[in-house]
Amino acid sequence: MLWAGFALALPVYAQKDSIALDPVIVKGFVPQKFMSGLKIQRIDSASIAQLRYQNIGDILSAYTPIAFKNYGPGQLSTASFRGTSANHTAVLWNGLNINAPTLGQTDFSTIPVAGFDQLSVQYGSSASIVGSDAVGGSILLDSRASVTPFHVSGGRQQESFHNNQSRTDIRYAFPLNNAWAFSGKTALYYGRMNNDYPNPTRNTYALLPTETFQKGIVQDLFLRSQNDQEISAHVWLTDNKLTLTPDDMQGREMTRTTAYRTMVRYQVRTFTIRTAWVRDIIDYAKGDLSHPDHSVTDKFASRIEKDFTLSMGSDVNPVSVKTGGEWTHYRSRVPGYALSPVGENRTDFFLLTRWQPTTRVTTSVNLRQGLVTGFNPPFTPSIGLEYGLIQKTLYNLTLKGSYGRSYRVPTLNERYWKDLGNPDIRPETGWNKEIGLEQTFKAAFGGTLRTSATFYHNRVKDWTYWNPSRNYRVENLQQVLARGIELQLSYQRQTGPWRTGLDAGYALNKSSQEKAYDNYSQDIVGKQLVFVPEHTANANAFVQFKYTKLTGQLQAVSKRYTTFDNSQFLDGYGLVNLLTETTFAFYKFKLVLQGQVRNVTDTFYLNVRNNAMPGRSFAVSLTFSYDSQ
Amino acid sequence: MKMKRQLASSLAVVFSTLAVWSCNQSDPAPKGDYVSGVFVSNLGNFLQNNGGISYFARENNNATADVFAAANGTALKGGVQDYTASEQQGIILVDNSVAGQDKVQFVERYTFKDEGTIGAPDIENPREVVIVGRKAYVSCWGTNPDYKYSTGYIAVIDLTTKKVTKKIDIAKGPENLVYNAGKLFVGTTTYTDGNMLTVINTNTDAVTQSIPMEGVVTPIGVDANGKVWVNAGIKALRVNPESLVTEATLAIGTDATKVPESFTMSNDMKTIYFVLTAYDANFNPFGKTYKFNITDSQIDLSKPFISRYFTGLTIDPTQGLLYAAVTPSSTQSGYAVRYRGDGNVVDSIKVGISPNGFFFQ
Repeated sequence: MLWAGFALALPVYAQKDSIALDPVIVKGFVPQKFMSGLKIQRIDSASIAQLRYQNIGDILSAYTPIAFKNYGPGQLSTASFRGTSANHTAVLWNGLNINAPTLGQTDFSTIPVAGFDQLSVQYGSSASIVGSDAVGGSILLDSRASVTPFHVSGGRQQESFHNNQSRTDIRYAFPLNNAWAFSGKTALYYGRMNNDYPNPTRNTYALLPTETFQKGIVQDLFLRSQNDQEISAHVWLTDNKLTLTPDDMQGREMTRTTAYRTMVRYQVRTFTIRTAWVRDIIDYAKGDLSHPDHSVTDKFASRIEKDFTLSMGSDVNPVSVKTGGEWTHYRSRVPGYALSPVGENRTDFFLLTRWQPTTRVTTSVNLRQGLVTGFNPPFTPSIGLEYGLIQKTLYNLTLKGSYGRSYRVPTLNERYWKDLGNPDIRPETGWNKEIGLEQTFKAAFGGTLRTSATFYHNRVKDWTYWNPSRNYRVENLQQVLARGIELQLSYQRQTGPWRTGLDAGYALNKSSQEKAYDNYSQDIVGKQLVFVPEHTANANAFVQFKYTKLTGQLQAVSKRYTTFDNSQFLDGYGLVNLLTETTFAFYKFKLVLQGQVRNVTDTFYLNVRNNAMPGRSFAVSLTFSYDSQ
Repeated sequence: MKMKRQLASSLAVVFSTLAVWSCNQSDPAPKGDYVSGVFVSNLGNFLQNNGGISYFARENNNATADVFAAANGTALKGGVQDYTASEQQGIILVDNSVAGQDKVQFVERYTFKDEGTIGAPDIENPREVVIVGRKAYVSCWGTNPDYKYSTGYIAVIDLTTKKVTKKIDIAKGPENLVYNAGKLFVGTTTYTDGNMLTVINTNTDAVTQSIPMEGVVTPIGVDANGKVWVNAGIKALRVNPESLVTEATLAIGTDATKVPESFTMSNDMKTIYFVLTAYDANFNPFGKTYKFNITDSQIDLSKPFISRYFTGLTIDPTQGLLYAAVTPSSTQSGYAVRYRGDGNVVDSIKVGISPNGFFFQ
């Protein structure tokens, strides 16, 4: 497989002389243009700004069908994307996978909206482009270079239960000389969730006493030259400390998650090199918090990529090609591992193509081969196609389809955890098929209406599993088939000072185990996976008049089974949030006043711990900003 | 709090049931949905706090998975470590994954209606319960923050006031309880190197003796001759309840890595059943079920009574069937499998998650 990777990569290099260089710089950290046939949802900046003091999970719940497995407010929250488990969503920060290498997943409660500028959600497997973990989908967080010479904003959100969140952002941009321009951003955030619930129970279920403190700093620097060169540096330090039952001196449990994420990137025309160092630290203590279990994992990752165009003849569009490699070294010291430190190397080679032979057709063929210490993940190809069925000025109908292989490299915990880990665990591998229709009405009801319908079918083999019937030893025991339908609609209209909009989605996710592994598995085969709701729906509607905006959000999930035989479940629920905000502008200053009513209907629902989630609550925020332009 | 592998005890339960049974003969017929049948304690899964008590009438082979939820419209919110009942009152030991959320839950015995709780700090990590008169004795590990089992105690509950009246400190994680003639015999968890059999005088609620033994101590029960049987390490001991002298010692094999557990006695109190557990390289528990007679001079491990591993074992005092708990995993329903006295299986009934003990009424 290694040689297949080289063999595929080499001809491209060999043909270097015969192809014309693409003069256009490919923007963005993740090469989304090679994702043709896949569904990508970009969350607009206004939506992000509206939830600026919250965590990413709040945005994703409001705008996508991703379901969260939540242990409580400010506690562990992991994603189930398209019927997959927490390990099957890749989270990329400026193109770098930031899932914790030990756990292979991201705790979305530790990712505040303050940490990134742009958010896109890519549905389905994109392993040939993103690599490991991108089985159910990928969350793409990007930094954006500042465009204004000087912008500063700061504010605070005060919430029920004595919770509060603050952030400050400074953006700057100025030319250094005739050739080079400098821009950057410095952001600080701080949050404190005391969760002082006035009543310790709801419907006899406890509201677990917990505290979460979150703080962080983001620093982005960009140097751009006239002749298509860019140097950028990115730093994101984040610290999240969660304490369960903080007033119980003997029984309290503290989990502190700290991440140092750093990256330097250099791009000269069609050549890009990137190097990154990420340190993930987890401290855990119970009772006496002064001597926690201390786990440190370092990840050193470098990536080189080069863009070409490949001529297909004078009367046909050329093929865009991106090829490159990634090298990652992990070093981990974890108290629970059989060995400390453990080290692991991973290498990936990839070749991505995009071709638009006619105006109706866009196609991508992508190839990737990963190499990992001890074993090799499968060769990962994918093919995507977009076909413009109807292309009119006011109406577009596009057929999209994709077929690709996905894989997930075992996490460090899965390989190295003492006794329960398994150094010989195999990587998971799956085949993802999807087909969908997207249509755009440019003059529907006086606005723009977009709808999409997507059907997907994703079969994952060697699904790893901390097997509860084997004392939680990790094993490649399941074969899971996830399939479903996603419907999405977005509508925006602007008439004079009025703006209205609606984003709505519905997803059906059927995700079940297909293969048997022991005597009692007949109770499990064919049953819906735990914590994967079959139905999810979300809607986000707003009306805006000049500087005042009223938004309603709905999130609904059907029941979530909590046992593999579906004998127990958490009831489905629907949550409604209302947000209203108004902006006062004077000279170059702005003041945004926002009020939120969360869980308006005071709906009762439970989290994974079988504890109650809070009822109706409130938040008020004030954000001040100055822009020099 | 920390959910653990079960030492299914229920012997104490059997005795208290017998006592109650005889008391009940002259009373008017009790009313409720759960008057006569089998209750199964289910541990649930760690962190999910989804244990419960399943119930079925003996003539049925399908169970109500969670009777507390069925009767009260709300779950117990934890794993069930043990269940027993006094004349009118059921007592459930509920173990939550988070500190401060454990409790003793009281229910009306025949309707399972909520009759109040005792929570932290009186009850932390409850393990076993036994009723003596109008008092309940609950072994607790305490907060046990460092997993060193140094904070354990027996909580003495006045069943009239539903209050903890005393805590009797016991080192090394108090676990199995057996009551006999004014004495409460207390063992400890197999997670420690504890080797004491502690004896509590139930008139004064004070420790009267601590007897060192060869290995972790699990009191089993009282036989037909009034002798107390105790498991210590890989031995079964017959102890004189008055002098506390060991009168007979039977070896349970020679492999000290195996753990004998889930002891239960036949209705004539002449046969003792147990599961001998071992762990494979993957820490997967396996084992077989054995029996011996109280007059045997040795325990024959060459012929298992049932060649299966169970997470709980109790004999129904009414019908004499052996009820064995099967836990396929902690994330799916378990089963209660019924066996005749000859070891032949009768049927199996799907119950809650991680069944570990039975209570009969």
